[in-house]
Amino acid sequence: MSIPIAPIAIDTTTTRWHARASSISETVTQLSRIWSSAADEAEKTAMDPGARAAAQGDPRLAGRLDHHGDTRIRTRTSVLTLVVVAQRPETAERAVATVAALASRHPSRSIIVSPGDPDGPTTFDAHIYAACHLSTASGAEVCTEEILVKTGGELSQHLATVVAPLLIHDLPVVLWWPDDPPFGSRVFDELAEECDGMLVDSGTFRGDGARGLAGMADTVTAGHSVHDIGWMRLNLWRELLAGLFDHPLLTTELPGCRSLRVDVARPGSVLRISKAACFAGWLATALDWTVEEPLRASPDNDSLIAAFRHGRRLVPFEIRPVGNGMGASLQSAGSVMRVEFELSRGRASTRARVTRQADHLLATADWNNAQVARRAGRLEPFEETPFLAEALDRTAHDPVFERALKRAVELTAV
Amino acid sequence: MTPPRTPAPAPKPAKGAAPAKGAAPTKGAAPAERAPRTTRSKTEPSTTHAPRRRESLHVFRADTPPAPENPLRAGTRLERIPGPCIVVVFGATGDLTQRRILPAIYNLRRAGLLPPESAVLGFSRRPLSDDAFRTMARAAVDEFSRMPLEKALWDDFAQGIYYQQGNFDDPPDFKALVERLEQIDAERGTRGNRLFYLATPPSAYTEIVDSLGKTGLDRQREGWVRIVIEKPFGHDLESARALNDSVMRVFDESQVYRIDHYLGKETVRNLMVFRFGNGIFEPLWNRRYVDHVQITVAEDLGIEGRGEFYEQAGASRDILQNHMMQLLSLVAMEPPIAFEADALRDEKVRVLRAIDPVWTDARARANVVRGQYIAGWSADHPVVAYRAEEEVSPTSTVETFVALKLEVQNWRWADVPFYLRTGKRLPKRASEIAIQFKQPPLMLFRDTTADPEPNLLALRIQPDEGILLRFAAKVPELGLEVRSVNMDFTYGSSFMKDAPEAYETLLLDAMLGDASLFTRADEVEAAWGVVSPLIDIWHEWDATDAAESADPTDPSAEEEVCFYDAGTWGPQAADRLIEHDGRRWRRL
Repeated sequence: MSIPIAPIAIDTTTTRWHARASSISETVTQLSRIWSSAADEAEKTAMDPGARAAAQGDPRLAGRLDHHGDTRIRTRTSVLTLVVVAQRPETAERAVATVAALASRHPSRSIIVSPGDPDGPTTFDAHIYAACHLSTASGAEVCTEEILVKTGGELSQHLATVVAPLLIHDLPVVLWWPDDPPFGSRVFDELAEECDGMLVDSGTFRGDGARGLAGMADTVTAGHSVHDIGWMRLNLWRELLAGLFDHPLLTTELPGCRSLRVDVARPGSVLRISKAACFAGWLATALDWTVEEPLRASPDNDSLIAAFRHGRRLVPFEIRPVGNGMGASLQSAGSVMRVEFELSRGRASTRARVTRQADHLLATADWNNAQVARRAGRLEPFEETPFLAEALDRTAHDPVFERALKRAVELTAV
Repeated sequence: MTPPRTPAPAPKPAKGAAPAKGAAPTKGAAPAERAPRTTRSKTEPSTTHAPRRRESLHVFRADTPPAPENPLRAGTRLERIPGPCIVVVFGATGDLTQRRILPAIYNLRRAGLLPPESAVLGFSRRPLSDDAFRTMARAAVDEFSRMPLEKALWDDFAQGIYYQQGNFDDPPDFKALVERLEQIDAERGTRGNRLFYLATPPSAYTEIVDSLGKTGLDRQREGWVRIVIEKPFGHDLESARALNDSVMRVFDESQVYRIDHYLGKETVRNLMVFRFGNGIFEPLWNRRYVDHVQITVAEDLGIEGRGEFYEQAGASRDILQNHMMQLLSLVAMEPPIAFEADALRDEKVRVLRAIDPVWTDARARANVVRGQYIAGWSADHPVVAYRAEEEVSPTSTVETFVALKLEVQNWRWADVPFYLRTGKRLPKRASEIAIQFKQPPLMLFRDTTADPEPNLLALRIQPDEGILLRFAAKVPELGLEVRSVNMDFTYGSSFMKDAPEAYETLLLDAMLGDASLFTRADEVEAAWGVVSPLIDIWHEWDATDAAESADPTDPSAEEEVCFYDAGTWGPQAADRLIEHDGRRWRRL
């Protein structure tokens, strides 16, 4: 099926194209046709004296004209290909919105694949959208492409073969799997092989999240660079707690750790531990604690308890579920609500706390019951855009995360 | 993340306990006494390669035990956040402080890159209260900050803003400053870290530095002490040396951060990434493949009411000695052994030293064009001549344009001319470095109507930061027509992010102790070493002309300055300068 290509919406700053294809090769052809049509249009502008005169008088186009007054050929400056696997229709919608929000920051080709019923007939249906947006501020033109692919039947089990021909040559490929990813499955592993980095969200892992953490750790061990939105949501928690110990009085106290407690939100019946375990895993690797006893239910069954070892000291660790009065936009199951870290050395005792208050975090440190340090910060809103942006900025390995994850998996003992 | 809340009042410390933040230290048990000394003074970038001048005068490097590291910082943004410090701004009520420094500090805080304990202390002659200075600072941030002012954040930030009235050469005023700094240290926990920022006219630099030395404020006891000095660093070689001498009688070179905001621009750093982060360009970056290099810093504006300043400076002092020499040394330098302050600056100095500093009369006449604009049209409005500007002498010979040819006499660049031009009231604001490559050894396509132009690589600094590569391509027809096409890369269309202001980058670097983007004493002197003798020659010519002709309106008195219409690309003599070598200026 082939539809004549024409710009579907032209305003002063954005030009868009749309095409549809029923096979991969047709998708590739349609993409080429879109860009030839875009180039033709630019060429027409270049040749038409009226358009040239108008363009020369337009300050927004000033940067795009060469010294003869011709418009330069429209260039696509792609920096990466983003592959999104959206298993549910609502995830696909969310992914499209998130990618659109980032289009101008990361001009890229986005391939959003929605695998359909694996038992149905084999189908392939793609919508191809391209847009060139002229920034009014800089006069620079940014072009992006979005390919929405729906697969059905056995093809849904071979997503790597769907994606591979559509990747931009030699540019980094980032895989974003917004729902619970099937770590270790063939379809996941094949796609992971095609990509340079991947983004997942441990906050969406099924059940208590422990199995997902183990799968993610295996993926890391296999050499893939993984970014986890759940871990990124802990950034501010880590930063504030670490900032307290920048105080010269407290840095020296760090070896004297005595106990750690993390309170997590439990809106339903499931206690999701992935974030709390990663947080404890981070602290454990930073302070050289090993896992002495993995997580288990406390005797009164109210919480989960474990123990780390630091030299000759045992450091008890507790994950305590708490009810919450927060709005749904600010937290989900497993969200960290409070961290309490106690230390003692000689006659000095230190208590560091990070507490969530609505969308803010407040960190305080008391040294012998007197407050000596205080930090505050605002949490990112619950949307995924900033995290995707961060993952796209950095496709390299994050060694701090990888060490923390490994310790977290030891802690959950899956 | 920024802490938007005002910290709550600290609880009263228990007996024998450490005092709360915000309280004065209590005798017997206090963080102040126990606070370990920072390692920064020990780990300041080494100045092994820099000239170690008057070393014996510096006694501040006390043998401090290393502070314990905070192991929790790794992998967090804290690694890029400096320790809390007091930024002491001399000339706090001046234009630079209001327009640049205060908005930059506020934006750093807003971006969460300054710890909340950090403080700003304004120091000026004008009597003001802390609150009055805070009001002034708020108005400045409101007007000049690139990010909007957030009330909650401002209220918290403003608590760390203080003002101290004083004269720059008055010892009692500096003693009062010492006490004030100690008080702020105790109040906010800034741990003796100080960044002195000289935002005053250059004439005040020496007395401020002397006063800091006399009161011992240069010494790094508990924390680090650094001083930021704004350009211009002197007005000729001699004054630059004198300034360096007086600064280095008090401070060690590793404490001195000479700021040229041009180096904080994103593209200037990109230039290094482009050259040394890519493997394909560096092999071509030499006399074998490069025909010549053009560096242009063009401004469409005039002197904008700064007649008095410009009469003293001219384009040579204002742009050539600093910005253009920096660009030249960055484009011509050898790969540094590390991306580290002294390694970089060593290489830059070598380039400047490879330029012949001896300007004979004949060399100056053949290789330099000094221009001044006369009335004309700047874009869509008429503008007056330079001599008709306010505070400008009607017989001024000060150059508003300079074009020159230099040679970097080293193994890499021998016989490759570097053409530099800068001016005011040119047709547009544009800065770029263009590397023009040599023609292919044999032109095979002789039947084409026009020879393709040689390859060119242009690194645009502003506007539209980016890189352009020009190469030949066949016109898609039956015959063999060859035409030059441009492959144009714009940073803006690949990375649509707000780059930080140059002052933000540089202030943060100074607080972190990274001097890569600051100018070292020998670098300043080497740049003056090239430009200063040229200015001297012009002065000689002007003096001779004045002596020869008592009548200042006599045209022969002006022959050394070439005039150009405002809104054009400089005098025709500038075109002749390059056309004489069979080349032409790039059309921008």
